[in-house]
Amino acid sequence: MSVHAIRGAAGVALGALAAGAFMVSAAQAENVTLKMWALTNANYPGYIAERAAAFKELYPNVDVVLESTPNEAYKTAIQVALVGSEPPDVFFNWSGEDAARLAREGLALDITELGEMEGGFRHSLSEAWQSSFMLDGRNFGVPTNAVTKYFYYNTTFFAEHGLSEPATFGELLGLCRTIREIDPAIVPMPLGNSERWKLNHFITLLDERVIGMENTAADYALTAPDDELFTNPGYAAAWGKVLELQDAGCFQDAPNATSPEATRAMFSSGIAPIIFCGSWCAGIFDDDGFRDYALFRFPPVEGGASDGDSNMVIPEGVQISAKTKHPEEAVAWASFLVSGESSLERAKVMKQLPSNAERIADLEGATEQFKWIATDMASLGGSFNVLDVLLEASVANAYLDIGVEILNGTKTPDEAVAAIREVALEAKKKMNAN
Amino acid sequence: MTPDNRPNDRQQRDRRVVSSRLATLLLLLPALGLCAVFIFIPATLAIAGSLFEIGISFSNWRFVGFDNYVRVFNDAVFWIALRNNLIIVVGSIVLQVGGGTLLATLLDRGLPRYSTVYRTIIFAPMVISTVAIALIWLMILDPNTGALVAAMRVVGFPMPRLGWLGDPNIAIWTILVIAAWQYTGFMMVLILAGLQGISRDLYEAAALDGAKGMRAFWYITLPSIRNVVLVAILITTIGGIKVFDLVFATTQGGPANSTQVLGTYIYLQAFNLGNMGYANAISVVLLVFAVILGWAQLRATRRA
Repeated sequence: MSVHAIRGAAGVALGALAAGAFMVSAAQAENVTLKMWALTNANYPGYIAERAAAFKELYPNVDVVLESTPNEAYKTAIQVALVGSEPPDVFFNWSGEDAARLAREGLALDITELGEMEGGFRHSLSEAWQSSFMLDGRNFGVPTNAVTKYFYYNTTFFAEHGLSEPATFGELLGLCRTIREIDPAIVPMPLGNSERWKLNHFITLLDERVIGMENTAADYALTAPDDELFTNPGYAAAWGKVLELQDAGCFQDAPNATSPEATRAMFSSGIAPIIFCGSWCAGIFDDDGFRDYALFRFPPVEGGASDGDSNMVIPEGVQISAKTKHPEEAVAWASFLVSGESSLERAKVMKQLPSNAERIADLEGATEQFKWIATDMASLGGSFNVLDVLLEASVANAYLDIGVEILNGTKTPDEAVAAIREVALEAKKKMNAN
Repeated sequence: MTPDNRPNDRQQRDRRVVSSRLATLLLLLPALGLCAVFIFIPATLAIAGSLFEIGISFSNWRFVGFDNYVRVFNDAVFWIALRNNLIIVVGSIVLQVGGGTLLATLLDRGLPRYSTVYRTIIFAPMVISTVAIALIWLMILDPNTGALVAAMRVVGFPMPRLGWLGDPNIAIWTILVIAAWQYTGFMMVLILAGLQGISRDLYEAAALDGAKGMRAFWYITLPSIRNVVLVAILITTIGGIKVFDLVFATTQGGPANSTQVLGTYIYLQAFNLGNMGYANAISVVLLVFAVILGWAQLRATRRA
């Protein structure tokens, strides 16, 4: 999905979502309870409860019940639930392969026509946003917001020691070394990779910075010829950059045994001066009472293919179970979640960048950091999805495992790429056989 | 009884035999029904499914014959998982049953006072959910803020650089220790019950013959609790084969598959990677492995 197009969403989404006008004849006849599944997030139950109450004013016979599951458990729990007999009607998902796989397997409902109804999401979201949950030109989900990644840094620490934002990857390495010189006990940039996905975000960025989006596309889609698949030397170079970060003392000793929560706590409590964290982390730090931070983008790598004008952007949204007994109400609810009012509430309560930006100008009380993220995302020259939701499942799993091995020193960058290539060739063979 | 009513008696006897068999069958039906629903039908489906390539939705079945089994035996991670299961089985027998026996002996004969208090403390981890135990140990072993790291720093003991659960060479052993912490108390209680059934006269008689301490333990205590120990080994072996929760909640099979056990690997293949057919094949191999071990254990128990 092009971020230019996302940026244009605010302009394109002119018509206010007349959710009340979304006519659902069946909804008027029977009491309906929509079961919704989402990731565990401290602010989400409150947001959904408030939105569900507003939705009930328009649809008095529809109740929404939210069930939350932690991040890692969610990915598998949702698949099991969707195969079972009592799946959630509406469920959170990331765009990319995670969503596409459910669509291909017939577990996610094709909501193209329902979305066209009056007040439906097809009228309030730009084509670019919609494309993040599309497969073969059909809508299989409603994007609600997007997340991205930044380096967060402690402004007081930086000011005290005369440090500044790095403009290149080399400067980032230098920053780590300087912080270690200030105090060897300080971990400049703790990495919590116990769930494997944290380093995956690093390598997603590094692949793009070193090789460039265009040069990775065929490999990621498994459409490159067999003799070329994952043979670009840039892949090994990108893994090498991870080792450079490690050698510069950026990370702590045991990143694979450290949880993401622990590293966030290290940053918000002032123990660590930098953290590479999602745009969602701003809300977490704010809730922790820590506001003494600013952000910068992943810098360009010297000699790399990217100028650093792009960033990883992961559209998130909701999908509808193919087994739902209430498809119209479910789509009405999903559409309601991307109405101007709901999107404004999302930005306020969840501190997320909504897919429908028509009322974003009404946002009051936003932190400086949130405004900075919103402005930066709007100014991106390009975007790409994160590897663990973009790649075919077995290749994504190989990437996740190999990240662990690179950090542990049990695989060299060349061995890492060879292992990924082997899995990718097998996945491509299987994909073509089907 | 007259000759005239003999056929009648036979008929009645036959009827009694038939009704007795019918009653037996009827009484067995609920158990058989439950076994069929929860064991036989799923096992049959798993065996059938292992011959197909199946996605997560079960919508497309493609017959692949024994390809999944060939893949199982060529899969390096499968062998790591099997090895880890064996480590957990053997390690748990040594730590849990061995440790439980020692603790039970100590409580039965060595501690004159407060044995109930000690017994309760040692048994307590058993009643805590495994996931809670995993979370507690994750906090204790955290390489940055964990209590163990802090304590070791104080005494100057070197810590593994990659962390107790982050180092692929020691993570499985760490999990083994956590499992032992949880279940040794249960083994202790089991064996203690056996020890308390041993007549004191035996020890007194043995003492008169000069058998005390270790000799008494070796020649009186151990033979007397042999059946209890075998049951404890059987329980531990079953637990080691089907282990899932502790591994999943602590490492999810990582780092880099080094703590993968068959249970977590089946889960990974089925639900993370969507290879239901392949996951079925691993399940069938696990089933065969469990049946062989169970059969061997039962034979050993019967002999005992």
